[in-house]
Amino acid sequence: MKGIFSVLVENKDGVLSGVSGLFARRGFNIDTLAVGETDNHEISSMTIVSTGDQRTIDQIEKQLNKNIDVIKVRRLSEAKSVCLEMMLVKVAYNASNRSSLIELCQITGAKIMKVAPKFLLLEYHGEPESVEDFIQLLRSYGIQEIQRTGTIAMEKV
Amino acid sequence: MTGAEAMIKCLEAENITKVFGYPGVAIAPFYEGLYNSDIKHILVRQEQNAGHAASGYARLSRKPAVCVVTSGPGATNLITALATAYADSIPIVAISGQVSSKLLGRDVFQEADMRGATKSFVKYSYLVKDPDDIPSVFKEAFYIASTGRKGPVLIDIPMDVQNSTLKKPFVYPDSVHIRGYKPEIKVNMNQIRRVVQALAQARRPLLCAGGGVILGNAETTIRAFCEKFNIPIVHTMMGMGVIPKSHPLNFGMLGNNGKPYANNAVEQADVLIVVGARIADRAVSKPESLARRVAVIHIDIDTAEIGKNLGPTIPLVGDVDDIFKILLEEEIRPADPSWIAELEDIKHGTVDTRVFSDRYVNPNLLVQTLSDKMDDNAIYVADVGQNQLWSADNYIMKDGRFLTTGGMGTMGYSIPAAMGAKMFAPERQTVAVCGDGAFQMCMNELATMRENNAEIKIVIVRNNYLGLVREYQYNLYNGHYEGVRLGEWPKYDKIAEAYDIPFFICSTNDALDETIDAFLAYPGASLMICDVDSNDRVK
Ligand SMILES: Cc1ncc(C[n+]2csc(CCOP(=O)(O)OP(=O)(O)O)c2C)c(N)n1
Repeated sequence: MKGIFSVLVENKDGVLSGVSGLFARRGFNIDTLAVGETDNHEISSMTIVSTGDQRTIDQIEKQLNKNIDVIKVRRLSEAKSVCLEMMLVKVAYNASNRSSLIELCQITGAKIMKVAPKFLLLEYHGEPESVEDFIQLLRSYGIQEIQRTGTIAMEKV
Repeated sequence: MTGAEAMIKCLEAENITKVFGYPGVAIAPFYEGLYNSDIKHILVRQEQNAGHAASGYARLSRKPAVCVVTSGPGATNLITALATAYADSIPIVAISGQVSSKLLGRDVFQEADMRGATKSFVKYSYLVKDPDDIPSVFKEAFYIASTGRKGPVLIDIPMDVQNSTLKKPFVYPDSVHIRGYKPEIKVNMNQIRRVVQALAQARRPLLCAGGGVILGNAETTIRAFCEKFNIPIVHTMMGMGVIPKSHPLNFGMLGNNGKPYANNAVEQADVLIVVGARIADRAVSKPESLARRVAVIHIDIDTAEIGKNLGPTIPLVGDVDDIFKILLEEEIRPADPSWIAELEDIKHGTVDTRVFSDRYVNPNLLVQTLSDKMDDNAIYVADVGQNQLWSADNYIMKDGRFLTTGGMGTMGYSIPAAMGAKMFAPERQTVAVCGDGAFQMCMNELATMRENNAEIKIVIVRNNYLGLVREYQYNLYNGHYEGVRLGEWPKYDKIAEAYDIPFFICSTNDALDETIDAFLAYPGASLMICDVDSNDRVK
């Protein structure tokens, strides 16, 4: 199963390595990890997505709670949360497929950030699955480079 | 006031009177502070033993004890002791010197990333960059080490921070506020209700006490609880001391090195109250199947322990002593005496089929005789190996302490830990029991012991082998003994002579009584060799 954790942590050095080290040491998986400051610069927010069985996901929550630099842990359900991921991608094009690529961007809502002679630099964001789908669609053009933020999530309620 | 002076002030505010350590340049400013203070520094002979000595001291004082090391190799030498304390939840505050903060990260002489290296072996750690942070860091460190699930905390402190002057006046905070750390857990009364209901229905309740009972100072309350409701007790190796051996409700140590009748009691129980124990692989071999069979009430201060190895029916988180004080107030029908009688029958029907050579001293008899003759409130520190398992199996617990390293199983723990314990409680008889292998890992501390008049008694169970590994090779590798023979060295009488302590030797069962009497009667530190057959096994 998938575990999505929204975690508030102290914004201090060593905290990120402490949290990621906890996953490494106990053999927990990190699928994605996104970190940024909150409105309070002493506190950072992390979204961690992990997969594992029920016991593992429960243990992750408990071990995160046990970490002294962790202020708050929330386990989010996919259904009740907004999950988003952002991506930058360089896609190759040529004269014959250029217009179909631009059309694809229009349909999917991807933004063209830069038009270079041999590639387009696109920005795309959406639910993690739609990011995956979009990547699949781009494959036939030729992906040169890709940067993904990992999931960030927030409860709707 | 300099950072180093502030460090001393903090230790004084925490009523620290002794620190165990080993100096070097990166911690020299702090030693200058020590020189000008009343805190006594105990110079060990290797940093690991500063940590173990602090562990022994802390286990007796039931408060955090302090060890101090220098940067680089001094600090890395300490890591094994930190890991050992962490595994057994022993409160220690470890101070390590560090290279100047301006040089951090440049791999200068004797720089080691101590925070990074110890991440998974300490409860928390600090790298102090501003001398004005010293009071709050120390306050927090002592607080974190001694509350919740206890454990070691590291303060890594660069030389320049020790040397520079505080800009603000020194104020030692009287309270702590850490956003992510709230160790005082209010006991959940709904869960208490569920526990009471489960116990009301139980026909064969059993309590399994772990080291957390002792760490939580809950021995008396738990004994009273079990007496009131007539609930038999088994314990883990770390839970030894929760209840005297002679107590009618004591059914011994469980686990693969424990008593068959203790394990049998676990098999027979319908409600099992697990307290302050992680139910690790050594205690219960198949925890999953156990949880399917019996209702497990799991009580621990550490939420993360619950469900880690054992799926509990009823989890209950909080201070163990608080919880049992509440439970003690309940009115539940005491368990039927027939359940105890059944366990009694099994206990008395158990025959020990192990065969021991009578060429030398029978190790079971050794531990029985020794612990029987020891003072009621004596401290017994068992090292690691066959000697530890023989000790745990045969120890006659009265009103004393049985200290060992259950979580990490670190050879060489016994002598430094016994020394630390003795320094806290000089009036209590203290005996370290170790194998000839482990002795040679920590015998350098005999000098510390002598130098500081820590009059501990040392028993070496000599079989000229790394016995437990040899036994493993016997069982699993057809007796292909590789890398386990210690041979004939050193000459232990010469060691005793070198440290100017009396030497006793016992090589037969017949001589046991007399030798132990003389060994214990000698007023100061002494060394006793007990020869056992290298073919004697634990199982
Ligand atoms: C520091 C350390 N190294 C290695 C081990 C693995 N080990 C466990 S028991 C043992 C043998 C101990 O031999 P000895 O101290 O002579 O005790 P005996 O088993 O003979 O009683 C060893 C090597 C360990 N527990 N700790």
